[in-house]
Amino acid sequence: MFRTIVKREIQHNLYSLRFQISLVAVLAIFIVGSISFIKGFSSELKKYSDYQSQYLEQIKNEAKIHATRLAVTRKTYELHPRSNSFISDCKEKYLPNAIVFSAWNVFSFLNRSGSVNPFMIQFQELNWSFIVSMILSFIALLLTFDSVSGEKESRTLALTLSNAFSKGTLLFGKYISAIVTTMLIAVLGILISVLIIVFSNQLALSSVFILECLGFILLLFLLIASMAGFGLLSSVLSHKSNISLLIALTFWLIFAVVIPNSSTLIAKRIFSIEHEEAVQRKINQVLSDIGRNAPEGSWSMNGFNPFAPEHRLRANLMQKLMDAEKSIRDAYYQDMFQQFERTRLLTVISPISLFEYMTESVIAGGYPRFKKVWEEMHIYQNQFLNFFKSFDASDPDSPHWYNPREVVSTTRKPVALEKVPLFEEKAMSFSERLSSLFKYLIINAIYIAVIFLLSFVLFVRYDVR
Amino acid sequence: MVWHIAKKDFLGNIVSARFIIGFMLCLFLIPFSILINIDDYKGQVRLYHLDRDSAETAFKSVRVYSKLRPEVVKPPEPLSIFSKGISENVGNRVKIWLGDKPMLAEGRAKIRDNPMLNAFFSIDFAGIIGIIISLLALIFSYDICTREKEDGTLRLQLSNSLSRAKLLMGKVLGVFLTLLPILGFCYLLSALIILVSRGISFSAHDWSRIVLLFIASLIYVAVFVFIGLFISTLFKSSVSSIVVCLFFWVFFVFIVPNLSVYLADKFIRLESRDNLNMVINDSNKEYGKKIDEYQESLEKPDWGMQWHSSGGEDGGEENYGSTRSFFERERLSNIYSEPLMIEYADKKWAHQKAYLDSLDHQRKVSERLSLFSPAAMFRLIGSAICYTNIESHEKFMERTRQYREEFIRYFQNKNVFASFSYFTPQPPESFLTADQIVEQRTGGEFKTLKALNEWSSKQPSWRNLFKKLGKVPIPGTSPEDYSYLDVSDVPSFKWQKKHLLTGLQSSIIHISLLIVESLLLFYLSFVAFIRYDVR
Repeated sequence: MFRTIVKREIQHNLYSLRFQISLVAVLAIFIVGSISFIKGFSSELKKYSDYQSQYLEQIKNEAKIHATRLAVTRKTYELHPRSNSFISDCKEKYLPNAIVFSAWNVFSFLNRSGSVNPFMIQFQELNWSFIVSMILSFIALLLTFDSVSGEKESRTLALTLSNAFSKGTLLFGKYISAIVTTMLIAVLGILISVLIIVFSNQLALSSVFILECLGFILLLFLLIASMAGFGLLSSVLSHKSNISLLIALTFWLIFAVVIPNSSTLIAKRIFSIEHEEAVQRKINQVLSDIGRNAPEGSWSMNGFNPFAPEHRLRANLMQKLMDAEKSIRDAYYQDMFQQFERTRLLTVISPISLFEYMTESVIAGGYPRFKKVWEEMHIYQNQFLNFFKSFDASDPDSPHWYNPREVVSTTRKPVALEKVPLFEEKAMSFSERLSSLFKYLIINAIYIAVIFLLSFVLFVRYDVR
Repeated sequence: MVWHIAKKDFLGNIVSARFIIGFMLCLFLIPFSILINIDDYKGQVRLYHLDRDSAETAFKSVRVYSKLRPEVVKPPEPLSIFSKGISENVGNRVKIWLGDKPMLAEGRAKIRDNPMLNAFFSIDFAGIIGIIISLLALIFSYDICTREKEDGTLRLQLSNSLSRAKLLMGKVLGVFLTLLPILGFCYLLSALIILVSRGISFSAHDWSRIVLLFIASLIYVAVFVFIGLFISTLFKSSVSSIVVCLFFWVFFVFIVPNLSVYLADKFIRLESRDNLNMVINDSNKEYGKKIDEYQESLEKPDWGMQWHSSGGEDGGEENYGSTRSFFERERLSNIYSEPLMIEYADKKWAHQKAYLDSLDHQRKVSERLSLFSPAAMFRLIGSAICYTNIESHEKFMERTRQYREEFIRYFQNKNVFASFSYFTPQPPESFLTADQIVEQRTGGEFKTLKALNEWSSKQPSWRNLFKKLGKVPIPGTSPEDYSYLDVSDVPSFKWQKKHLLTGLQSSIIHISLLIVESLLLFYLSFVAFIRYDVR
């Protein structure tokens, strides 16, 4: 019986006007999106490789001068563009995408300018994630908003229920068929997009890529299931289909517009952190204290004699200054990460935001990726420092008084570029992706169950006449 | 008769569930957007005060002209509460350098505390109005024809001596009458919130711009009412009509504004910022080389000693207690280097301008593409009205560039580059020769620099030399001996409030487009309605 209902509903959906418009619109946007991705991605790669060669050139030149120069100069590592960004760009344009480091410290992160045109308004890339979160979520609601109230209006509901199956079966059948129909549109769009991208030679089909696509389709299913659940809910909340529609639209506006756009307010109001200028004041205070209390001679420097005895004091002072600033800054960065993460956790009330966060984990982009690179960079910085120290140790002309900021009392010997460890971003493993995904998955599962149950309870009490 | 129908429809509408839900939606969304933006604005005001105070202090606490470089801080625009435009993407601070023309402002308010929050988008009042009012317009107009047809009353009405034209006019008027109170309510509510919130003051000028925004939203509403009407005349059932309407809504309000920027971003190539930086670096190096060469050609000073000195960007230097010939050499060098620096700024500007033009070209393309969508047009009009669009920003930058010229003229009139006061507050009559300095500082122990150097070369540490020289201080050779420069006659930056209609040239085109669109749609729906099968 259940199969009959699902079959009937799917057929009904497929012939409907909304399905036809949705299909055409979605496919068109998928095609436009994929073509522009291909166009944009190659220039992005070019830009990145230009920058990367500049970055390597800088390292090479410094190594040629001497190892100390290489160790103390700040370098800016930029994250490479993701080849799977046609699935979602994870708003990486607006997130930090570069890290400033030296052998002694990981200083800060920043959004390297040039990636955004300041004269244009903020926008989202037209990738799979955008199409799904803005259009397919809407279609899922459009296919379900009148599934109960519409039948009631056309007076077929009482008739349908006079058959020998429960209300639950009917509701579930409608639910499943709406999901299947929406999925059909989405999967068709995804297939076309994959075809375009693969045939353009932008991307080779690899197992990771296929897994990512499958993972994305699973998330897509979860989002559509949530939104279709809200559609059903709106249809049992009212006896008239046009009111159900308004309720459904209200849900959509809240999830797609209100909640994502209120994140900044939530972050600033509920999870507020110190202002940048207060932190800077604190740093200035601490630094000037250290500078004032430094033993006499700490500030002296003799350019001709690395072994001048004051240099040991100077090295100590510089190390202290750096450590003091680092500890305050690192604490501030932790606050920032926490503020960002907590805000996101609060905005998962919107299935659309939830979907976006899960997509980031599945395709290893956006914030989880940045966070991982940030942590890896700290590990790398230690390796780099150890390398420098061991290189310095082998130089008899160096007093080995480590000064993290200046070229004073450490080696002045050049170092071969091949020996210098370079930072390389590691691909996110399957378990890492899953671990950041897991909490969101549970939230989403509970979400769907609650919404469907709620609709079911309301439907049981629904006046079907 | 038209009025009669309108009244009937209006009364029917305001008791309907859609009116109540629409009203509730506004009641919730408008305070939401206004409060968010008031919060943003207050944050900007806080930063503005910090920036302005530190800029003023920095400007007033210099002792030499080479370090006198004003910084312009633009006050945040109160109207940005209604439409943010690009005000958050571009900065509000411009430092006036001699060696660089102002290109892009610094200090973007949003990225200061937590740069990651940039990944969260936020929406302004105009954005919310654009979304919600267009939705309500469609919700009230999608069934103008279909509903009465479904109910069977359309045939009945037309069996009277009522012309179809009159009926249609009446119905459209009814929809407008229904939407007007909602729209008015949105504006009144937001005005009320602004009036009661502390720390925000709107001038009469600002309020009149809000009235302009209200008028623009009326036209915007009309476009969507006519879209709804037109679609309604094409379909026989209300459900089909609303589904099509909603697709158009999503397309116009969410897809096109995004798509237009996205396509421009992907297909219009920008000049590379990294390249620009490289070109500028090269130019700076070339300039540095020229200065070095010139300084080589100058006579060497008798002693390079600088008792107190500090350098800085943009030719900044401050010297005390050096010898006369050293000061003279610096002065001669400045006469050559500072005008050359200004010349180089013009050279660099050619490249910077090309970069800015490419940014602007991309933006223009995105705006042209977005003309497909009334919602995107409304957003552009909103940002123009609220002084947060690119034209306002460009005008501000242009003004800072003019100000730089004024500032340079001020320097030229005072002939500061050829003056010692450019790098030292010491009066020229107090300048001494190397031997005089040595004699005075060592308390007569050494009569000449040569003698001192001979003695010092035998010493184990170079610090002994400075101990000797520190014996007797020479008055007037340290910064504390001088007060700050009098900057009262430096031209100040003026950024006056504009006339009621300034900066609206581009909006006039957009508004006329909206009007043409709505007239066209009305005409089409009229024609379609005349042929409509009322049975």
